[in-house]
Amino acid sequence: MGKRVLIIDDEDLVRNYVRRALASRGWEISETDNGAAALALLRQKDFDAVICDLKMPDMRGEEVIKRIRDLLPAMKIIAITGSVSNITTPIVPGVELEGFLIKPFGIDEIRNLMEKVLGR
Amino acid sequence: MTNKASILVVDDEPQIAEMISASLQLHGYAVSVVYDGEQAVKKIAAEKFDLVITDIQMPGMDGITALGEMKKIDPELEVIIATGHGTMSTAIQSMRKGAFDYLHKPFENKELLAVVGKALEKRKFNDITKAIFSTIKPEELLRVTIDSVTRILKAEESLLVLPDKGGRLKVAVSEGLEDEARLNSRLGLCDRMMGRLGGETKSVILVDEPARDKSFADLPGISEIKCALFLPLMEENKPSGLISINRTREGEYFTEDDLQRAKIFGSLVNLALRNSNLYRQLQDTQSQLIQAEKMSALGQLAGGLAHEINNPLSGILGLTQLVLENTKPDSQNFTDLKDIEKAVFRCKKIIVSLLSFARQEKTRMEPVNLNEVIEETLTLCARQMELKSVRITRQFAQGLPMVNGDYQQLMQVFLNLFTNARDAMPEGGELSVGTSLLKDPSGRELIMTTVSDTGTGIKPEILASVFDPFFTTKPVGKGTGLGLSVCLGIINRHNGTIKAYNRPDGGATFTLSLPV
Repeated sequence: MGKRVLIIDDEDLVRNYVRRALASRGWEISETDNGAAALALLRQKDFDAVICDLKMPDMRGEEVIKRIRDLLPAMKIIAITGSVSNITTPIVPGVELEGFLIKPFGIDEIRNLMEKVLGR
Repeated sequence: MTNKASILVVDDEPQIAEMISASLQLHGYAVSVVYDGEQAVKKIAAEKFDLVITDIQMPGMDGITALGEMKKIDPELEVIIATGHGTMSTAIQSMRKGAFDYLHKPFENKELLAVVGKALEKRKFNDITKAIFSTIKPEELLRVTIDSVTRILKAEESLLVLPDKGGRLKVAVSEGLEDEARLNSRLGLCDRMMGRLGGETKSVILVDEPARDKSFADLPGISEIKCALFLPLMEENKPSGLISINRTREGEYFTEDDLQRAKIFGSLVNLALRNSNLYRQLQDTQSQLIQAEKMSALGQLAGGLAHEINNPLSGILGLTQLVLENTKPDSQNFTDLKDIEKAVFRCKKIIVSLLSFARQEKTRMEPVNLNEVIEETLTLCARQMELKSVRITRQFAQGLPMVNGDYQQLMQVFLNLFTNARDAMPEGGELSVGTSLLKDPSGRELIMTTVSDTGTGIKPEILASVFDPFFTTKPVGKGTGLGLSVCLGIINRHNGTIKAYNRPDGGATFTLSLPV
C-alpha cells in the first residue's frame, strides 16, 4: 500500500514540486497551505508523514508541528524552511523531528529523506 | 612676517597722535590715526588692525570704554593704553579690561617701540597658537608647525623628524632644505641627537656650532650651522621625534628669549600633536562604528531576504529537476536546464554565506590556541596550495597565551584569508603566516597574526572597500563578495581588528589582532 504524505506549505511552488517528486514514487500526496486546515485533515484521515514548512502566515510552523505531535504522537514529521543556514540547533524546541531540509532543496534530497523516513 | 603690522593710533591731541604715527611709520608699520573713541570703534569694525594705541581721556567716548567696545569686535586685538600722570588707577582698570600694557605720558620713542614690539609678538604667537590648534589633521599640523617655528625663531632652516614603522627617523616636513644632501645631513644630526637623548625628557636643547662639538663633529655637511636648537616631541613621556631649528647666519646666536619662546612653542606643539592623535583615534573608532552599523543593518536585511528568496528558489530548483527527468540528456533543453540548476546552486551559496555573515547567534567563546587554529586550517588547504604551486611558510611565536575565541569561526576566517591569498597567486607564490605577541598603546596584550601573499596586491583605490559586503574582484560566479565581510564580522565579535595592506615589494598582507 502506498504511503500517505501531507505537505503543509504556503508556497505553491514548493508544494507543487514536492508533491510531484514524491507522487512519482507511488505515494499518495495531500497538500494544504495552512496549519488549521492541516490539523483538520489529520483528524479526518490517516497519514504516514507530514512535511511542514516552518514559516507560514496564519500559524507558525513550530506551533503546527507541536499540535500534530500532541494529536498523533507516532506521526513522522519533517520540517522544511528557508530561514536558516545550518542544522545545529533543534528546530522545534521539545519536539523530536524525523527529518529536516533547508530550502532550496532538490527533488532527490526530499525523495531520499522520505524514503529513509518511511522505508521504500 | 612679510606684511608689516597695522596699528591704529587714537588721541584727541592731533600733535601727539601725529608724533606717535610718524615714529611708528618710520619703523615700517602701517599706521592710521583717529581722534576719539567712537571713531576708533568704527574703524576697528571696518578694518583689520593688529594693535591699537589709545589715549584715555578724550571727549565723547573715553579710552577705557573704547577698549571694551573694540575688544567686543575683535577679541584678539592688542591694545596699549597711553595715560598721563596721576591716572594710575585708570591704567590698572584698563589692564583689567584686557589692555596689553600701558605707557606713561610723556614717553620716549624707545619705550613706545619696545611695548609695540612686545604686543605684536604676543599677537603673532596667538595667531600661531590658533593655527596649530585649529589644524587637527596630522599632515597639515606638521606643516603648520614647521612654518611657524621657522618664523618665530627667525631660522634659515628647520625640519621635523618622526620615526617610521620600523623605528627609523624620517623627515616628515622641512623648511629651507630643498637640497637633498643638506636635508640628509640634518637628518643625520637629528638621529645623533635622539641617540644622545636616550629616553631623557628635555623641553629644549641648544647646540652652538655643532661641527665643533665632539658629539657631532664627525657628521658631514653640518659646518654651515652656526646654531642648532632641538625640540623633542614626546609620546608617552618619551621623546619620539624632534623639531630641529638651525641658524646659518654668522654670529646670530639664539638668545635667552628665543629659548623661552622655543620652550613654549614646543609644549604647544606637543599638546597639539596629542590632540591630533586623539582625533585620528576618534576617526578610526567612528569608521569602525559605521562599519558595525552597516553589518547589523545588512544582517537584518539578510535574514528576511533569505527566507523570501529561498522559497521561490526551492521551487525553481525542484521544478527544473522534475523537467530534467523527462528531458533527453543530449538535447539543448537538457543543457539549458542544467545551467538553470547550477545557477540555483550559485544563489544558494551566496545566501548561505550571507546568512553565516549576518548570523545573529552568539559566538561560542572558549580559550583557543591560535597557532593550533592556524595550523589546522593550513592542513585543510595544504593540498589546494600544492596544486597551485603555493609554498607555505610559518613564523609562529612559541608559548603564546590563549585567546578567547570561537574555534570554528576563527578557522573560517583563516580559511577565507588563505583562499584569497591562493586566488591572488594564480601562477603560484608564497603564503606566509606568522603570529606574535604585542602590546597595544594602552598596554593590553594582543596576538597579531599576519597573512601575506606574493600576488598582485590590492589596488590602492579599492583597499578601503575590501571588507564591504558584496565587494569582489573575482569574476562573476567565482566569489560572493562576502568572504572578507564574514571575516570582519567574526573578528569584530571577538573584539579584534582586521586590516588589509599592500606590501612594498608586491602582494598583500592582512593583519589580525585578537585580545589575549
